[in-house]
Amino acid sequence: MKPISRRIITIATLVVVFLLFSAAAVHAYTANETANDLGNTAYAPSVSRDAPEPEKDTCFQCHITGEYTNLWTATARWAVFGVAGLVFLFGVIRSVSVWRTREAWKPIPTRVMEWVDERYQLSEFLEPILSKPVPEWQRRWWYCLGGLTFFLFLVQGATGIMLAFYYKATPETAYASIQFIETEVRLGAAIRAIHHWSANGMIIMAVAHMLRVFIMGAYKKPRELNWISGAVLLIVTLAFGFTGYLLPWDQRAYWATTVGTEIAGGIPVIGNLALVLLRAGWNVTALTLSRFYALHVLIIPIITVGTMLMHFIMVRKQGVMKPL
Amino acid sequence: MTEEKEKNNTVPFFPDHAAQEAKVALGVGVILIIIGVLGLFFPVGLAAPADPLNTPLHVKPEWYFLFLYQLLQFIPKTVGSTAPVIGVAILALWPFIDFKADKTKKAMRYRAIIAAVIMIIIIALSIWGEVK
Repeated sequence: MKPISRRIITIATLVVVFLLFSAAAVHAYTANETANDLGNTAYAPSVSRDAPEPEKDTCFQCHITGEYTNLWTATARWAVFGVAGLVFLFGVIRSVSVWRTREAWKPIPTRVMEWVDERYQLSEFLEPILSKPVPEWQRRWWYCLGGLTFFLFLVQGATGIMLAFYYKATPETAYASIQFIETEVRLGAAIRAIHHWSANGMIIMAVAHMLRVFIMGAYKKPRELNWISGAVLLIVTLAFGFTGYLLPWDQRAYWATTVGTEIAGGIPVIGNLALVLLRAGWNVTALTLSRFYALHVLIIPIITVGTMLMHFIMVRKQGVMKPL
Repeated sequence: MTEEKEKNNTVPFFPDHAAQEAKVALGVGVILIIIGVLGLFFPVGLAAPADPLNTPLHVKPEWYFLFLYQLLQFIPKTVGSTAPVIGVAILALWPFIDFKADKTKKAMRYRAIIAAVIMIIIIALSIWGEVK
């Protein structure tokens, strides 16, 4: 593949940033229109329900509730002129340095690496990890499915933390807090959409990765334990989906959990125990919600990260299986 | 000799391979950002607030448990509840069931057929459960 030039990457990044800003502005505008029918322009501060008069407004968090819409102008101005100023300053420092020392300019990342290396000998530790040769046959698209699952897991972690800032895990407040995220929190609907769809994508990618490993027979000696850790990862991914589905506390969530835990309750001998453990009682209640929330944001992520680490160390040690 | 030959057909993990992986991740990231922007205009949304006293007509689990739910319509509850546990146990212990090293490509083809049949059954049950 021909390498993409830096200029094109820079222009594309700028275009994407511009589009995002425009989408946010259009969204703010349409939200204003429907909310109070007052906003005539994208940047006009909207007066909503019981907000104080603009000049008396002492609210420092009003950008969160969308009452103060003039946030992006200042941010964009600082970003554009700030970056331009930093670039100019860097150019001046670099020119002066080259002129004074009469030596070629050493890039900043190199300087940082040298500074750290002098103190902690980091390259000694990183060298064998980073210089590992990757065979050409391994650079095919079906070998990246597992990596993509991991990437989507990272996305889930980041967006999940963002949602956790606003989510309240009690039956009285859960539904309203999701509504608040969807309608009031800036870009809240976008973050929730990414969390929702990338959860589905993660399950698809995990299953696709498992099928690839299964068909190629990559689970055979000496990679049995890696397959088992992969099976554990598939189960925890599904557990993520199952526990996360209850959190909005709407009719769909409530009854899906009721039905799902009922299936677990049908197992002979330990069925009732499983049911009570899952529901924290005989019915789906407030206790079930906080239990699922704790599982979703604390326990399952810890298990997942630990198992993933083992999964990666094992694949690093043994290498990807070469097909016949 | 062969080792030497293999070494010539490799690229270093960093930066060559890592850069390629990063590009793939970046592509997925762009798709996710597009999903996020679309999500501003078409939010995921919510159903009616949960009401323990009012069972809706069509109770459905998430799509990835739908095949199991559909399967439960035809088999007794005990069997249907135990089957996934046994299925997961078989899946986890599969390397000890099919442990002989592959000698030809034939085994790979058989496994592809097994995987395709299982996936078709699961997808068919899911679609059936969805449209019903």
